[in-house]
Amino acid sequence: MSIKLINIKPTYMSDAEISASDIYLQESVTFEKGKKYLIKASSGHGKTSVLNFIFGNNTNFSGSISYSGIFSNNVFDLRKSKISYVFQDFKLFSSLSVFENIQLKNTLTNHKTVEEIENLIEKVLLDHKKDSLVKKLSLGQKQRVAILRALCQPFEFLLLDEPFSHLDKKNIRIVTNLIVQEVSKQNASLIMTSLDETDVLTFDKVLNL
Amino acid sequence: MLLKLQKRTLVLSQIIGYALTIFIGVTIILVTSQFYFDIKPLLSQQTDIFKSKSAVISKNISVFKTIDKEKIYFTDKEIKDLKKQPFTKSISKFNSATFKINAYSNKTENVPVFYTDLFFESIPNTFLDVETDEWKWDVSLDFIPIIIPENYLNLYNFGFAESQRLPVLSKNTISQIEFNIQISGNHKSKDYKSKIVGFSNKVNSILVPEEFLSWANKEFGRLNKNKTSRILIEFNNPSDKTILEYFNENNYSISKDKLEFSKLVFFFKSALIFVFVIALVIIGLSIAFILLSLNLIIQRNKELLLNLYNIGYEHNRIAKFYQVLISSTTVLSIIASLIISNIIRNYYLVEIINLFDFTENKNYILLFGISFILALIIIYNLLIVKNIKKIVIPKNEK
Repeated sequence: MSIKLINIKPTYMSDAEISASDIYLQESVTFEKGKKYLIKASSGHGKTSVLNFIFGNNTNFSGSISYSGIFSNNVFDLRKSKISYVFQDFKLFSSLSVFENIQLKNTLTNHKTVEEIENLIEKVLLDHKKDSLVKKLSLGQKQRVAILRALCQPFEFLLLDEPFSHLDKKNIRIVTNLIVQEVSKQNASLIMTSLDETDVLTFDKVLNL
Repeated sequence: MLLKLQKRTLVLSQIIGYALTIFIGVTIILVTSQFYFDIKPLLSQQTDIFKSKSAVISKNISVFKTIDKEKIYFTDKEIKDLKKQPFTKSISKFNSATFKINAYSNKTENVPVFYTDLFFESIPNTFLDVETDEWKWDVSLDFIPIIIPENYLNLYNFGFAESQRLPVLSKNTISQIEFNIQISGNHKSKDYKSKIVGFSNKVNSILVPEEFLSWANKEFGRLNKNKTSRILIEFNNPSDKTILEYFNENNYSISKDKLEFSKLVFFFKSALIFVFVIALVIIGLSIAFILLSLNLIIQRNKELLLNLYNIGYEHNRIAKFYQVLISSTTVLSIIASLIISNIIRNYYLVEIINLFDFTENKNYILLFGISFILALIIIYNLLIVKNIKKIVIPKNEK
C-alpha cells in the first residue's frame, strides 16, 4: 500500500503558519511501501495533524488523501490490518493492566500469541509490570506499552508520533530494534515525527514541516 | 478485556433504579389492562338493565299533593324545559287509561277465580325492553297483550304466594294463563281475552300497546285531555352529574339506583384510566431516565470510547455491551412483571368468581408483555448505536 497526500492543508492553520513546508500545500507527497520517513518540525507546526489526517481521526483538512489510489473518508477499515499508530498521548486504558492493554488490541486480529506478547513485554523490560494497571506506570513505561500495542497487529504503515520523547537511550535502542524487526517482518513503511533530526533509525526521506 | 473495561463505566444504582421503575410501570399497565378486559363483560352485563340509558320520572308525592292531585301532573312548560336540558336525548309521556278496567277469570278455566280492578298505561314501542311477536293490537282483535314489571312477579312469588299458600309461578307458566279484561266507560263496556306476554325491567307499570290505549281512551275515556304524571326520559350520558341536581331542584323522583350504578361504572373506568396513565408516566420516566443515564455514561467516558474506536473497535461493537445490558435488564424486568401480573390476576379472578357469575376472559398479559419488550428493545438498540456513533465517528466519516 502507498499513501498519497494531495494539496493537504489543515483548515485550522493560517497560510503564514504553514509556509515553506515539504508536506502542506504540496501538489503531491507519496509515502511508498517498505520505506521509512521522518517528519521533522518544531512544536506547533502540525506534525501530529499529518499523522491524524492519514489515520483518519482528524478530518479538518483541505485537499485529499489516497490509499493505494483510493480516495476515502472512511479510514476505519484500514486501522485493523493496514495502519498502526503510536499516539503521542499513548491512548492507553488506565484501568487495564499492561498485558490487558496490549491484548485488547491483539484480540481484534489475533496477530500475536500470548507467549509472543509476554516475550515483547519482557524485551522492553516491563515483565515485572505486566499485571500492573497502566495508571500506575511512569510516562516512559507507558510509552513502551503504547509502542508494543502498535506492533501487535498486521500493518503496512506504522505511524509513530514522537515515540521516544520519554525514553532514555537504552530503552530507545531496545524499542527501535523491536520496531525495525516488526516493520521489516511485515515489509511495512514507517512514518515517524520528531522535533529534531535523529540517528536512532535510518530514514529514506526526511520531510520538514 | 472489552467487557471488563466497559463494565467499569457503569453506575449499578442507575441500572437497578431503571429495572425497578420499568418493573413497577409495566406491572401496573399489564394488571390494569387485563383487569379491564376481564371485567368488561361483567360491566356491560350489569349495564344491560340500563341499556337505553333511560329512566322513569315522576313528581314526588307530598302531603299537600294528596289533597291537590293536579300537582302530580307535569305541565307543558315543565315538559318543554325537560326536553331542553343538555342531558336529555328524548322524552316520552306515559299514556294512562281514563276508563275503568277489570280483570277476571272464568270459573271453567284452570286458574283460581279472581276479579280485580286494574290500570293500564302505554309507552312508545321503541322505549320497551321486551321483544315479542304478540305485542300488537288492532280494532278487529279481541285480545289485549299485557306487559307487567318483572318485580310484580317477584312480589307475587316471594311475598303473596308464600303468605296465601298459593303455588309459585315461573315467567313461562304465567305467560300461558289467559284471563278476561272488561273495559267500561261512557255508558258502554267491552270484554277482551288477555295474556301477559312479557316482563319489563325498565318500566314499572302495567303496559298495553299504545294503539289500543289511544283507541280505548277515545271510546271509553272520561276525560278529553290526557294528563301526564310519568315521563320516560332517555339520557345522552346517564353519568352526567347535572341529572340528579336538576331532578332534586325540581323535586322530581327518579329510579336513582340505576343512575348510581352507571355513575359507579363511570368512576370505576375513570379510576382505571387514571392508574393506566400514571403507569404510562412511570414507564415514560424510566425510559427517559435510562436514556439520560446512558447518555451521561457515554459523555463521561467519551475519551475511553473514542480510544476504543481509534485502536480498531467498530462503533457497533462498542455499543453492543450497552445494548445487551439494557436489553437484558428490560427483558428480565418485564418477565418479572409478567409473573407478578399473572399472580395478581389469578388472585382477583378467584375473588370475582366468588362474587359474580363470571366466565374467564382471554389472558392478554403475555401478548402485551412481549409487545413491550420488543418495542423497548428496538428503541434502546437504535438510540444506543446512534449515540455511540455520534461520539466516536468524526462528522466527515459518517
